Amino acid sequence: MDYFEPKTVSEALSLLDQHGEQAEVIAGGTDVMVDIKYKDEPGCLVNIKRIPDLNAIRESNGGVHIGPLATIHELEESDIVRERLPLLWQAAHQFASLQIRNTATIGGNICRASPSGETLAPLLVLEAEAEVTFSDGARTEPFGAFFKGPGQTSLGSRGLLTGISVPFPAAGNHAVYLKHAVRGPMDIAMVGVAVMATANADKSALDDVRVGLGAVAPTPIRAPKTEALVSGKALDAALLKEAGACSASESSPITDQRSSGEYRGWIVDALTRRGLAQCWQALTGKEVA
Amino acid sequence: MSLEITLTVNGKTHTAALEPSTALVDFLRDTLGYKGVKLCCNTGECGACTIIMDGKPVNSCVVLGADAAGADLVTVEGIADGDALHPVQQAFIDTGAVQCGYCTPGFIVSLKALLDRTKNPTAEEVEEAISGNICRCTGYTKIYEAVDLAAKQMS
Repeated sequence: MDYFEPKTVSEALSLLDQHGEQAEVIAGGTDVMVDIKYKDEPGCLVNIKRIPDLNAIRESNGGVHIGPLATIHELEESDIVRERLPLLWQAAHQFASLQIRNTATIGGNICRASPSGETLAPLLVLEAEAEVTFSDGARTEPFGAFFKGPGQTSLGSRGLLTGISVPFPAAGNHAVYLKHAVRGPMDIAMVGVAVMATANADKSALDDVRVGLGAVAPTPIRAPKTEALVSGKALDAALLKEAGACSASESSPITDQRSSGEYRGWIVDALTRRGLAQCWQALTGKEVA
Repeated sequence: MSLEITLTVNGKTHTAALEPSTALVDFLRDTLGYKGVKLCCNTGECGACTIIMDGKPVNSCVVLGADAAGADLVTVEGIADGDALHPVQQAFIDTGAVQCGYCTPGFIVSLKALLDRTKNPTAEEVEEAISGNICRCTGYTKIYEAVDLAAKQMS
């Protein structure tokens, strides 16, 4: 196996151009190392961990710029993430063990493009953008367009994720990330649901409701029908029930060793209701009547 | 293809060769001889191979050996001060927190890292610190008692 430690993004990109499908990019390594041991070794490993300045977390243009090499624990420890992007912070906090959070990077979690990736539904709800770079140039694209399928992104075999831009959510928003797994953070999510909303001026209705679903479709997804159903309305028990069912209908979960598809649908329903109810309560001070 | 890296383990500098696909746990055990680092699940789930890398606990089975170039590592072998055990090690003995013992080095390292960053950890902080360490003898109660005892002795 060939091995490279490029010192710059352009050096890494030319290696990817040169080695194409044979090349595997490694950052933290918590997933790639397992593949190397138990699946086929790649033809060449491109270790980007030592490219400088790709792990910064800083305020930028009305939001937060996150370098893809920032570890999950660095997100968790970041004041700006905790204070301004609590949804992403909650996902980081429920991400495996401390040992893994010290090693795994947010860029790796994203580029792995597992539908259950812990940070992905929150990034969709936050309307974050990916900075994708190829040897002939860079572009930004919303994460809604970035994920193409399980393990598939718009990077293909020649692109690198070089930045993540997360706009600050609207003032006064409330957001929750709810993960359903047998063994808490250590386990891969059977279902992950991210809900974010604001309230209108007199706190009589929810506005700008966003619902993101993880592990229940080929990619992490938003639930636009559910969002439209609830936005602009007061949340009562009947609407909550309708929203849960609508969210489940927007998912298309598979059956695997962790859960049946039918069960995942019930959990989407339950967690959507729970997330919306928590937002309603936090934003209006009232229980769902 | 073989690489040569230099790193520090328990204060001692080593320079040695490794294959680029080698996991850090295998390099530490098989090349450098630090057998206290236990290989168990080999997928980053059980914590038996936990070491402290540049101040942070990590699972050495899912860290690329090459990433340790220039790093400062602490394994369970480097935690005692000569013959004097670290308070966490002594507390494991005093509370009977060891059963089969295979998970013990990983727990000791995770808890040493915890007590390095927090003098009097809350139950929640202890739980978080060892959430990535699995004991299949299920002796967690004694392990919690050991952390309390060690924290008291260190303060």
